[in-house]
Amino acid sequence: MSRKRALIADTFCLMKRRRSAADAVTGDSHEGAADIRSSLQNLMTLFSRKLFNDSLPPVVLKHQLYSLHSDKTSVDKQLNELRASGELLMFQLGFDSEAFALVFAEDYRAKVLQGEAGRETLETVEKFLDKLIPGCSDLSFNKEKMLKEFLFTDSEITQLVKSGVLTVRDAGSWWLSIPNSGKFIKYFIKGRKAVLGMVKKSKYGEILKTELEGRRTTSHVKFQMKYHIHDIVGAELVECIQTTSGTLLRYVDGNIN
Amino acid sequence: MLSFLYARQSGLDDPVRLRRAESTRRVLSLELNHNRDVARVHGNGINTLDIEVIDGRYMLSGGSDGVIVIYDLENNSKKLQYSCKTVCTVGRSSRHVHKFSVETVQWYPHDTGMFVSSSFDKTMKVWDTETLKPAEEFQFDGNVYCHHMSPVARKHSLIAVGTKDPKVQLCDLKSGSCIHILQGHRGEILSVRWSPRYEHILATASTDSRVRVWDVRRASGSLFTLDQHNGDKSKASSEAVNTAHNGRANGLCFTADGLHLLTTGTDDRMRLWNSATGENTLVNYGKVVNESRKGLKFTVSRGCSPEFVFVPCGTSVAVYGLHSGELITMLRGHYNNVDCCEFHTDYQELYSGGKDCNILAWVPVLRQPDIEDEENNSKRGGTQAAVNPAFEDAWSSDEG
Repeated sequence: MSRKRALIADTFCLMKRRRSAADAVTGDSHEGAADIRSSLQNLMTLFSRKLFNDSLPPVVLKHQLYSLHSDKTSVDKQLNELRASGELLMFQLGFDSEAFALVFAEDYRAKVLQGEAGRETLETVEKFLDKLIPGCSDLSFNKEKMLKEFLFTDSEITQLVKSGVLTVRDAGSWWLSIPNSGKFIKYFIKGRKAVLGMVKKSKYGEILKTELEGRRTTSHVKFQMKYHIHDIVGAELVECIQTTSGTLLRYVDGNIN
Repeated sequence: MLSFLYARQSGLDDPVRLRRAESTRRVLSLELNHNRDVARVHGNGINTLDIEVIDGRYMLSGGSDGVIVIYDLENNSKKLQYSCKTVCTVGRSSRHVHKFSVETVQWYPHDTGMFVSSSFDKTMKVWDTETLKPAEEFQFDGNVYCHHMSPVARKHSLIAVGTKDPKVQLCDLKSGSCIHILQGHRGEILSVRWSPRYEHILATASTDSRVRVWDVRRASGSLFTLDQHNGDKSKASSEAVNTAHNGRANGLCFTADGLHLLTTGTDDRMRLWNSATGENTLVNYGKVVNESRKGLKFTVSRGCSPEFVFVPCGTSVAVYGLHSGELITMLRGHYNNVDCCEFHTDYQELYSGGKDCNILAWVPVLRQPDIEDEENNSKRGGTQAAVNPAFEDAWSSDEG
């Protein structure tokens, strides 16, 4: 196997390697200093709000960031910093043990309170959000924590589950969740399957990223194509290959989807 | 490179630094070389490889046909083209050959007079290399997936054996019997590894998704279980609490200094752990494709400045930076799944074996001679052998 440029260890690297022409064309950024917050905001703009009648805050999945930044470990570290500072919330979605959803804390708070306006559960939910947002970065809560640390009663916990902020995990523990996110997950999984199918059915099971973005989407794909592309690239469901005509996405065999 | 040599010469740099830099450069330029070959003996896939630590000269391989082969890796012929020959074989015609697939082979850590092999025929045999007859045979109740002897042990000569049984067995070479059982796992033991730093520390990986670290001197249970969420019970679903992987944990490898432990699992993840505390260092390697139903044998480089992990991934070997988690390159060359790989520390070469019955040698690419010098040599005439320009002098003449 011949490489046009040999791999060089950092100690021998005196000048930075020049970016390939393809990168300059497509405008993908692979800077050294990763700014996660701006990438998150960029991805959030791809989220279609109108689809859910504005009842959901913009949701981004953690692995979509991996398609924008090459160093996964530093992405994870910066995300943990943002979560610890209370700016970002992470949720465990049900369908994959590795798929985590990220929402900005202010957006989450605004949407939840907007959804709760006028209902009797509003006070309990407000109380919960106040406890949650500045300090706590857990994904799930068990009964002991709710009763002792947060000082909620059983009936209040029931109200929280009813409002959608908590979802049952198993007897005596709950996941933190986004209210009305069931529809989001359903459309997301359907859309992901449809986009992967489009890649798989292409000739040789591969397609240029720019071509995929330009394709007409079926009714199964409700989100923007770029949102799904970041998802399948980040979750490594397709292989990303740099070519002279741009990025090529090749379907990876052995996927369950 | 010249700056490193000068710094070494003048004492500005530690001697180790030049060696590490050159080792790293060599590992980064690993490639299939058509000059280097390994003799093809196995009729069925190759499950395991082991290079002896004393000289780095002899390599053992065990195959799915029960055959064990010893190769001589050293190139004593003066030619560039070299095929690693077999020194001897325990073939199908031998009376003592394993009945079923050989899963693990390992040289005795202190000399090449002995090696140990374990197989799916529920036995583990200790062989005498000279006569190729088993000096000792251990019987077990279930298929033996793996075994390992401690490379640094002075006070004990225990072989840790992982079988279908959830109990890890420790067999003593001196007395010839299984003297100790480690209880704690709830599934088949797919991989066992002694620490290269402490002779009493053992790590085991099992199908119950847990990886346990034991001190064999301790009578009660394991020291700790590796937890992928570092004790943060909120992250996992309730069944996955306190597990190292979300699927079967099937590969283990300590780094050369024994301070870190790498584990792979069928959830397509590889994790790096601090071996003293059991903490997940959260280095994200991405998706490391792993569909192995048995143990996965992977290896870590030694002597390089950013260390590298070589993991068999499907039909290729993936090279990752150990602490950065980035995928450096994929070594493609096998025709079928790769099952095992072994790193030769002294020459920075990688040997990998797989289901296509080939052992491939990945050799660092040598620097090509400059084109200008070659032209000069051909101009001077074919009779004179090409002299390295460094050894040429201006005053000796060709005629006299």
